[in-house]
Amino acid sequence: MNKQPLKLCIMDPILEKLGEAVEYGKVDLNSPYPPQMKGQDGADELTRQALDGGLKPTAVLSDALVPAMDRVGQKFSENKIFVPQMLMSAKAMSAAMVHLKPYFQSGDVKAKGTFIIGTVKGDLHDIGKNLVAMMVEGGGWSIVDLGVDVNEDTFNSAIEENPGAFVGLSALLTTTMANMEDIVKKIKERNPATKILVGGAPLNDDFRAKIGADFYSPDPRGAVEYLKQFAA
Amino acid sequence: MIDVLHSYGIEFPCGGKGTCGKCRVRIIGGQVQTDARHRARLDALGLGGDWRLACMSRCEADLVIEVEQYFSFILADESPFRFTPAEGMGVAVDVGTTTLVAQLVDRNTGEVMAVETAVNPQARFGSDLVSRLESAMTGHSGEMTRMIRETVNGMIDRMWKGRKGVPERIVLVGNTVMQHLFSGSDIRPLSFFPFESPHKDLKQFTSRELGWKVPCGEVLFYPSIGSFVGSDILAGIMATRMHESDEFCVLVDLGTNGEIVVGNRERMYCASTAAGPAFEGARISMGMLASTGAVSRVERKNNGWRCHVIGNTSPAGICGSGLIDAVAVLLDSGRLGEYGEILDGSGKVVITDPVTLTQRDIQEFQLAKAAVAAGLELLMKKNGAGEIGSVFLAGAFGSYINPTHVIRTGLLGFSEEMIRQLGNTALIGAKMFLFSDPGEIVPVLERITHVNLEAEPGFQDTFIDHMRFRTGDV
Repeated sequence: MNKQPLKLCIMDPILEKLGEAVEYGKVDLNSPYPPQMKGQDGADELTRQALDGGLKPTAVLSDALVPAMDRVGQKFSENKIFVPQMLMSAKAMSAAMVHLKPYFQSGDVKAKGTFIIGTVKGDLHDIGKNLVAMMVEGGGWSIVDLGVDVNEDTFNSAIEENPGAFVGLSALLTTTMANMEDIVKKIKERNPATKILVGGAPLNDDFRAKIGADFYSPDPRGAVEYLKQFAA
Repeated sequence: MIDVLHSYGIEFPCGGKGTCGKCRVRIIGGQVQTDARHRARLDALGLGGDWRLACMSRCEADLVIEVEQYFSFILADESPFRFTPAEGMGVAVDVGTTTLVAQLVDRNTGEVMAVETAVNPQARFGSDLVSRLESAMTGHSGEMTRMIRETVNGMIDRMWKGRKGVPERIVLVGNTVMQHLFSGSDIRPLSFFPFESPHKDLKQFTSRELGWKVPCGEVLFYPSIGSFVGSDILAGIMATRMHESDEFCVLVDLGTNGEIVVGNRERMYCASTAAGPAFEGARISMGMLASTGAVSRVERKNNGWRCHVIGNTSPAGICGSGLIDAVAVLLDSGRLGEYGEILDGSGKVVITDPVTLTQRDIQEFQLAKAAVAAGLELLMKKNGAGEIGSVFLAGAFGSYINPTHVIRTGLLGFSEEMIRQLGNTALIGAKMFLFSDPGEIVPVLERITHVNLEAEPGFQDTFIDHMRFRTGDV
């Protein structure tokens, strides 16, 4: 039986600080939040320092950002933090991603895949959708955010432009869940191989099954976990 | 007595402190004891004999009382309503999402002759408007129309018992969904953006087409302002006279829909914040309506707090006013953090055994108050409002609500002196409509603009911003 050699990882202190900045939502030096990190470098500065110091972008992503967002997602699922704090963490992560984007584009860092997301037709709510998009991006995926009030044609066109992409549908109004059912049907008709994730406060797994979608999660973390199995 | 009377459209302007004297009642049958404090207040107001202040009275057995407010038609800004006496009797009905109130009014004198309340039977199809819309769209609309018409019919029948003739005019006000369901109009347009319906105009009925046994003169359901903001808010605007005011006013109707109006005689902006039913007890683990057993008031005392339970019985749950009080008191006691975290890490707080608030309950409250606070901020910006003169706080628990705590939790960002707490401004306005030509509201409607908050840039950020609390010393 072959045993994998045990890898002892001593985390670079910058990556450790970056993880904390994302976990507690410290966007940059000037940001007043969180109060206990006032005057410290934020995700913006720390990511820059990490890359300038020769750390690999893949390491920045997988050793600092992904685990931090994972911890944030966990705390949110357990009601330990609420929407405002999660949003700050997501903002910190976005600030870090700005520095990593060129490496994704050049192919140095491969995105795990593409995730298309939008709030369905008739619905304008986007806070939840934005949180999922940011968390999935933090998980190393490339995001195509179609915004709100999105119809089936827009979703299908985006899928055709990004073959192999996964699709996330969001709805907050019980009255627009009917549109979600319609859109799932239209996507499966035109792009049958597409895996569809659904979410939103009034949804549950029974509804997901009823409308023929592939996955439902009550929180963003579930979506990230689900997508991991399909990572390129 | 305040616990019972507030649902009958009786106003308690000083919030039950015993200072304004406006809730005075005369005891005609039965007895109400007084204590030294009550007697002192009565003496100060020059009230002797059978007079009592309802807010300081307890009912220990059946009573017959004469309500002073029913004899003088006073508006929400405490000015007397000047009307031209008209023939016959009228009925004003506030068709609330959760409760209905109806008053029978003598159109000669403006006096209230009878009053009825009822729970909205449509509640079984959902406590909030969106759930109710969904039920209506999935085949229950006919049933919901029938039940609400029956309920109003029953209220009118009971008030009219033994009287000769027929009511000359019946005026109904309510939010747009209530108006559509009562009228049998198609509610589908209200279920998706931009949530506007072509059926929001004045609706007129005969008692025959409503299936009512009591024949009556005109039955009018007044028009909606726009989207979900209905004739109940229009009535509230008229009742507070903000449509005639030079100074800028704010009207906040705290309930499921959290409607807000900002403006003055020149222009008013309104929105519904869909605060959610947290203020009516729904989605709160031990939440309930303001009825017997509900913790309705929480006040700081020494190192802890004390609670008032409606009916002075064992606590069974907590209602909207109690929730606001509890959060304010927990903040002042240092038990909650800026983001609503229960600081001891236990995930729950005991308010008074067995009534507890969980972390999720606090978060539900944060969502509701952020919706109202953000809506208010955006409407005030839109209005380019100068100095705000008066803030009218109306709603199901207008009488119970503690303005200090409303400010403390960040629900409203005004100073206490500006706040006038009111009970049912929709009902006051509906009574006004009994005396005027429906056409008179047209020029007022033209000056009101409905704002769709979700479509406003910056709303999401403002909304999230207002989820936070101010901690530390006030």
